[in-house]
Amino acid sequence: MKKTMNGMLAGVALGALTAPAAWAEDLVIFWAEWDPANYLQELANEYEEETGISVTVETTPWADFQTKAFTEFNARGSAYDMIVGDSQWLGAASEGGHYVDLTEFFDANNLGEVMAPATVKYYAEYPGNSGTYWAVPAEGDAVGWSYRKDWFEDPAEMTAFKEKYGYDLAPPATWAQLTDIAEFFHRPDENRYGIAIYTDNSYDAMVMGVENAIFSYGADLGNFETYEVDGYVNSPKAVAALENYKKLYGYTPPGWAKTFFVENNQAITEGLVAMSMNYFAFFPALLNEATNPHAANTGFFANPAGPDGDQFAALGGQGISVVKYSENQEESMKFLEWFIKDETQKRWAELGGYTASAAVLESEEFRKATPYNEAFYQTMFKVKDFWAVPEFAELLTSANQRLYPFIIGDQGSAQETLDALAADWKETFKKYGRGQ
Amino acid sequence: MPSEVMTRLDPKSHAAAKGMSDLSIRNLFIVPTIVFLIVFNIFPLLYSLGYSFTDFRASTNAPANFVGLQNYRELLNDPFIWKNFSITAKYVLISVTGQVIVGFGLAMLLNRSIPAKGLITTLLLLPMMLSMAVVGLFWKLLYDPNFGIINYFLGLGKFEWLADPDMALYAIAIVDIWMWAPFVMLLSLAGLSAVPKHLYEAAEIDRAGSFYTFFRITLPLVAPILMIAIIFRTMEAFKTFDLAYVLSSQPNTELIAIRLYKMAFQEWQTGMSSAFAYIVLIMVVAITNIYVKYLNKVKAR
Amino acid sequence: MAGVRTPREKWTNRTAIAAVFLALIIMLTPIYWITATAFKPRNLATTIPPTVFFTPEVSPFVKLFTKRSQLREQPTQEEYESAPWWEKMVVDGGEKVVRNRKTGEVRSSGYSDRFKNSLIVSIISTVVAVCMGTLTAYGFSRFKVKGEDDWMFFILSTRMLPPVVVAIPMFLMYRVVGLNDTHLGLIILYTAFNLSFAVWIMKGFIDEIPKEYEEAALVDGYTRMQAFFKVVLPEALTGMAATAVFCFITAWNEYAFALIMTNRNAQTAPPYIPSQVGSGLPDWTVIAAGTLLFLIPVAIFTFLLRNHLLRGMSFGAIRK
Repeated sequence: MKKTMNGMLAGVALGALTAPAAWAEDLVIFWAEWDPANYLQELANEYEEETGISVTVETTPWADFQTKAFTEFNARGSAYDMIVGDSQWLGAASEGGHYVDLTEFFDANNLGEVMAPATVKYYAEYPGNSGTYWAVPAEGDAVGWSYRKDWFEDPAEMTAFKEKYGYDLAPPATWAQLTDIAEFFHRPDENRYGIAIYTDNSYDAMVMGVENAIFSYGADLGNFETYEVDGYVNSPKAVAALENYKKLYGYTPPGWAKTFFVENNQAITEGLVAMSMNYFAFFPALLNEATNPHAANTGFFANPAGPDGDQFAALGGQGISVVKYSENQEESMKFLEWFIKDETQKRWAELGGYTASAAVLESEEFRKATPYNEAFYQTMFKVKDFWAVPEFAELLTSANQRLYPFIIGDQGSAQETLDALAADWKETFKKYGRGQ
Repeated sequence: MPSEVMTRLDPKSHAAAKGMSDLSIRNLFIVPTIVFLIVFNIFPLLYSLGYSFTDFRASTNAPANFVGLQNYRELLNDPFIWKNFSITAKYVLISVTGQVIVGFGLAMLLNRSIPAKGLITTLLLLPMMLSMAVVGLFWKLLYDPNFGIINYFLGLGKFEWLADPDMALYAIAIVDIWMWAPFVMLLSLAGLSAVPKHLYEAAEIDRAGSFYTFFRITLPLVAPILMIAIIFRTMEAFKTFDLAYVLSSQPNTELIAIRLYKMAFQEWQTGMSSAFAYIVLIMVVAITNIYVKYLNKVKAR
Repeated sequence: MAGVRTPREKWTNRTAIAAVFLALIIMLTPIYWITATAFKPRNLATTIPPTVFFTPEVSPFVKLFTKRSQLREQPTQEEYESAPWWEKMVVDGGEKVVRNRKTGEVRSSGYSDRFKNSLIVSIISTVVAVCMGTLTAYGFSRFKVKGEDDWMFFILSTRMLPPVVVAIPMFLMYRVVGLNDTHLGLIILYTAFNLSFAVWIMKGFIDEIPKEYEEAALVDGYTRMQAFFKVVLPEALTGMAATAVFCFITAWNEYAFALIMTNRNAQTAPPYIPSQVGSGLPDWTVIAAGTLLFLIPVAIFTFLLRNHLLRGMSFGAIRK
């Protein structure tokens, strides 16, 4: 006990001794609290070495990131010079006048070609196909899957699987196979379950999960130019996709009703499931022996294709934007100029950042760097995203209200659910005078 | 109270006034607080009231348009909102009743000579000293069917506390009761120890049953302070946000404060959420008013 | 109750004591679990069956105070050997300590700064709220105030609006007057928040202090002010202590406003602790360590005031 006390005192003393955060920096970048923010800080430190201008990455928990960023924007606050904002914010932040228009910067540096096309389309451009850009793609991200290699490669399991389903047990190439494998490994009495998917409906988690199915089934959320939704989000393909997602929910571990990246990673580390959906950015924790006892046996695959061969994944990730109210816009632009250089992007990837630079992504070196980089590279060229209109959060709320009772609460049918959602969205678009 | 004392304490009387007059002392003591609270609350209240009649969104630079009562109409016609209200009513009822039963029960038990009473009371107060958000996180871990200790120790197997739509609200209320029953306990303990001993002694001499003693002596005398505890707990339960938000996202646990948060801080429908806030405020004021009226009646007895 | 006489009463008393201990165990199990988790190695935090016996570690506390990131490359043997003991702990846990590249200084996680902010803001706002609340309560208790019930209700009503609604206008107001991200801003906010509670509770106490006490003092030639400070205040002190405990707890744990109104200069600890969930896997041990350290000041404060709390709560004793 005495030893423990001493240790605790040492801990406290350590806390007192560590360098007091110096706030004399010149530039502040705001992001969420996670590892990529640490990597960006390291990268920024190198910028300081080169130029003498210090850059601080300030963070806040993910759950509060949107709230805090927009509260600051709405008050026209200059606390942050740059912000690494979610792709869905583009509409709200650009129409609200919170971001600096980066179109000139974009064109001058030919970023449309330097960065992977999907990242330009979703992280930077608003409205769609307008040629107006608001951000520099910074952290690419999309949904992929991790799986238990040892379960998949167990000879006994392989034989049993082949017998039951008539094909070889391997990382699934289609959603049908994904569902078969989930069913196959779902054995509650052995404390093993089939699959971990997103189900949290407090913000965008569950919707991102469902999107993976909808997009790969060849359906869309709507027409992003005309804002038509009827016949898109409730098309037969979308209905089939939602039914499939609901079926997967049946193969999740008990208590799987409010899950996002944390829970889905835990499903692997705790040895609960055969396969788990997650953003690539959260995979490093699964490769770490200290945090994942099954690290050596964890493999990764890209979101599988739908019945018609379409293959897409829900987009995550962020671009860096310059805040309109910043008093250091010129310095910020200089930082961005440095950030988009090929060497910097390469260094960014080395440090652990998910670069959006097409050249770096395509390089052999990057694709071999981790077990999931290849899957990431493949995915980043076939991603789709949620609506980025300013009222995206209202669209999210309707989606959550409609989808959750069907998937988790077993209420209604997929067709009814999506018809109701299409009606809600139509109503919302009408309210804001879009399309018609 | 002898009436002469009252007259002497009348601020208009200067009989006892040396130094500052009673009137100026009264003003000195009361006015700063009132002014402070008014200044602090009037701006947010007016701001919300004004925008509740507009389609204002704080996230854009678009000007606010006056829409009259449309926000109120839309809200009161939204079936999801009505569901939020009934869920909240149910939650407040379960949670506050639970806190009163557990808290008052503990106070009754503690209101006797018990070894290390001070230490025990302090220990029992520990749950309410924690931060709501952290409590939510930890209880989510404790409730977890796969690696939580609650199911393990109670032998419940894979019981889904938070994933079961019918159970989730109770599970959240249990955490709230765990956290805030000590608050009710402490205030009840105060009330209980204020009951004059001679009343119990008299009851004992009359051979009154413990039932009679409790309902005729204990409860009426503890009622005023218990009511204060209930008022504060009801107000807080109405506002419950962090706890429920961290623990569950079931539609059956979407309390008013959660919906309000989404409307105000995710969707940025500032006008609409202001109208919503006013509806909630009016309800809370009405309910509290009933309580306070009752409290004054209890006190008068 | 004093004399326990009959066997029946003895039996009742024993049952009551047993029940109290049972309740104590139930109420404290989650707290015990937080405490135990704060000293566990990370991999034992979520085992089933639960790990009850283990060798306590201080690594959660080390991690709590340092900025860390996912260990992507194992350090060389040499680097590992030359690292201080606490850094080894972090590395063993699969993370690396983030250092300032130029100076090599360890970057702080910010917990200690936030802890300090919490202390400053909570202590000052509690003292102010309790003092103002006591004066106001005395004013309402002893003097005739026109529309007293309405004023009291107004004071109560300031606590009824959900914070999410007040937050936006308050934020705008604070920005205009430059109070956001300052200690003073949070202090004012928490004082306002606790004041209504303090007035209501203190009025309850002061109402119970017999007016005859002051009367006697006034007759003895004290001024009203002197009577208040020399007679009423000492009697009310215990009540003030109890109120202070509640106010301190509220201010200490407040989350929503701390999150929105403050950034790097004045942010308190509650918004920080849950952020440890950040990088894809929750480290329960660090969250537990942060929670436990954060519990200690309130627990000590409450324990020191426990006698006041109990006595303060038995204000009616005078009536006996």
